[in-house]
Amino acid sequence: MIIGLAWKSLRHRRLTAALTVASIALAVLLLLGVERMRTESRTSFAATISGTDLIVGARSSPVHLLLSSVFHIGNATNNIRRDTARALSERPEVAWTIPIALGDTHRGYRVIGTTGAYFEHFRFGAGRSLAFEAGKPLTADDEAVLGADVAHRLQYRLGSSIVLAHGAGEVSFVLHDDRPLRVVGILARTGTPVDRGVFVPLAALDAVHAAANVQGESDPLAAALKQRDGSSGGSLTAVLVGLKSRSAALGVQRSIGEYAGEPLTAILPAVTLLEVWEITGVVERTLLAVSSMVVVAGLAGMLVALLTSSSERRREMAILRSVGARPAHVAGLILGEATLLTLAGIASGVLALYVGLLLARGWIAARFGLFLAVAWPSAHELALMALVAAAGCLIGLIPAWRTYRVSLADGMTVRI
Amino acid sequence: MGEGWDGGHLHAIREGMVTTPYHAQGSRTCALTPPTPSPTTGAVAALRDVTFAWNRQAPPVLHIRQLDIAPRERVFLRGPSGSGKTTLLNLLAGVVLPQRGSVSVLGTDFGSLGGAARDRFRADHVGFVFQLFNLIPYLTVVENVVLPCLFSKRRRERAIATSGSVDADALRLLQHLDMADPAVLARPATDLSAGQQQRVAAARALVGAPELVIADEATSALDADRRAAFLDLLFRECAAAGAAIVFVSHDASAAHAFDRTIELGSSSLPPAGARQHLGAARRR
Repeated sequence: MIIGLAWKSLRHRRLTAALTVASIALAVLLLLGVERMRTESRTSFAATISGTDLIVGARSSPVHLLLSSVFHIGNATNNIRRDTARALSERPEVAWTIPIALGDTHRGYRVIGTTGAYFEHFRFGAGRSLAFEAGKPLTADDEAVLGADVAHRLQYRLGSSIVLAHGAGEVSFVLHDDRPLRVVGILARTGTPVDRGVFVPLAALDAVHAAANVQGESDPLAAALKQRDGSSGGSLTAVLVGLKSRSAALGVQRSIGEYAGEPLTAILPAVTLLEVWEITGVVERTLLAVSSMVVVAGLAGMLVALLTSSSERRREMAILRSVGARPAHVAGLILGEATLLTLAGIASGVLALYVGLLLARGWIAARFGLFLAVAWPSAHELALMALVAAAGCLIGLIPAWRTYRVSLADGMTVRI
Repeated sequence: MGEGWDGGHLHAIREGMVTTPYHAQGSRTCALTPPTPSPTTGAVAALRDVTFAWNRQAPPVLHIRQLDIAPRERVFLRGPSGSGKTTLLNLLAGVVLPQRGSVSVLGTDFGSLGGAARDRFRADHVGFVFQLFNLIPYLTVVENVVLPCLFSKRRRERAIATSGSVDADALRLLQHLDMADPAVLARPATDLSAGQQQRVAAARALVGAPELVIADEATSALDADRRAAFLDLLFRECAAAGAAIVFVSHDASAAHAFDRTIELGSSSLPPAGARQHLGAARRR
């Protein structure tokens, strides 16, 4: 009954109420958005690779190697020789290897030079292997397999022919248009960066690069580097390694680090992912602190609105007292309004979060390779909402208490 | 407190007769009550030896030796600003308690009740009409009228007993007050004219048939014609509901319509030395 009055009172003061709700909604949106990004990025990253025991690349920071080879974030600084990869695959502990060569693009999408082993051994999520929506894996040197996003966005079908561009930028001026590739397979959607990849045989990459070298290299240093890479039959960015026994991972990792042929880094993906979280954790905590402050500011705005209106509303309170409302009722009315405002703010914030997620997920996936699931609020998010609701009610106690005292003193007649 | 302080003067003028003020011990208080033996049992409201001050240091703003209001009685309570009208009204409503003496309504001594119980008692038995801005702006006309039934089970039950439902009783009263026009009911309460608002407030005071209706400057915002018409409606409905009415005003022009006029005396809040005697026995 008091809540009914509170609702009608708020409806009467729509504008102030709407502004208060909007400020709380924005605060909640920010708080939940930060939290959602944090958890979603972790689950999304963790689901991107599974079943791979080691990733081997040129000596560099493990985090850098992981991000560039699996998540396609940033570019590898150095390459490894192909004979190194061959030596690796011949080790007795190794069950399978997937060579990966990055550095080219196709209309803004990353080109991954690899072999048929990719489609056989790569696992994501909870150990799921890649499935084909249409077509088949790579077999010949002039073929390409597309991720689901690439195929749908660029409207490629089986049999379409594509041309690679050198460099990882969205726009490239060096097109390898003398060597078109034929699309032979389109992968089913995975919700990982695989969807945004163009998979080509290593030989196809070698061919286009050889052609580029023939055209001449204006940078003598780059030319020298190319020559060095080329001397050992092409280069690779990284090798994904599956072991016969996972328990051997640490030993193999150590011995790869001591490989005499060239300086290498071997990482355990799960361990390196933890390092990534350690780095991003600082940012996440800062964002969480900032968004908590915004929530406090939003609730403070509500407090100001309620306190400002409370002096205007002394007559209203006096009338309510005259029709039999006790001071507790009148205080309850104000508390009820604070509660309704907070709850409406939280509900609008959550709604805005989901609308925002639906609208932005495509862009976030394209821009950051982060695949956000639109799922029900997690227990932690519900706890955050409950915390905001509790804080709103608690803050509502301040104007409610003030109104209680004023109402007790005023009785049914307002004395100014 | 010395001789210069006359306190609140209470004059009862019954059937046009001026009675002499009763002076209590010392000149600081005088109270005046009807000379006839007052009904202590069956009275709607009874005050005995009531002294009230807003705090312990302040001089009392009101002293009343005896005041009884009979069932269905229509009492006009007149006094200038600061004469203690508001205080008396708050005492009758049980919003405040006197420092000394007793206030009882329908035989219940407010001194024996806690604050919440007095609030409940008021909700059950007393209806109010104020000067202006009587209505809750965010409620419709009918919602405003049924407000007391929200807080008082007794008045809710009485309203339902009379008309079948709370809303029906509100409409019945509004109809009696010429306010049942759907076009009027559909408008927000604050869009109504002053006269219409006061009629809605009267309907609210009467819903669920309380025994006592207190009107505080209820006609001050109305012009003379509307004032008379409003009083007629109020009297008629109070009579129909069997309610006594205490009508408080600074303006005596309506006093003739009432059974009895009580006049409150001097202004009570200026410092003791500067106090002016405004009240006693000046009328007719």
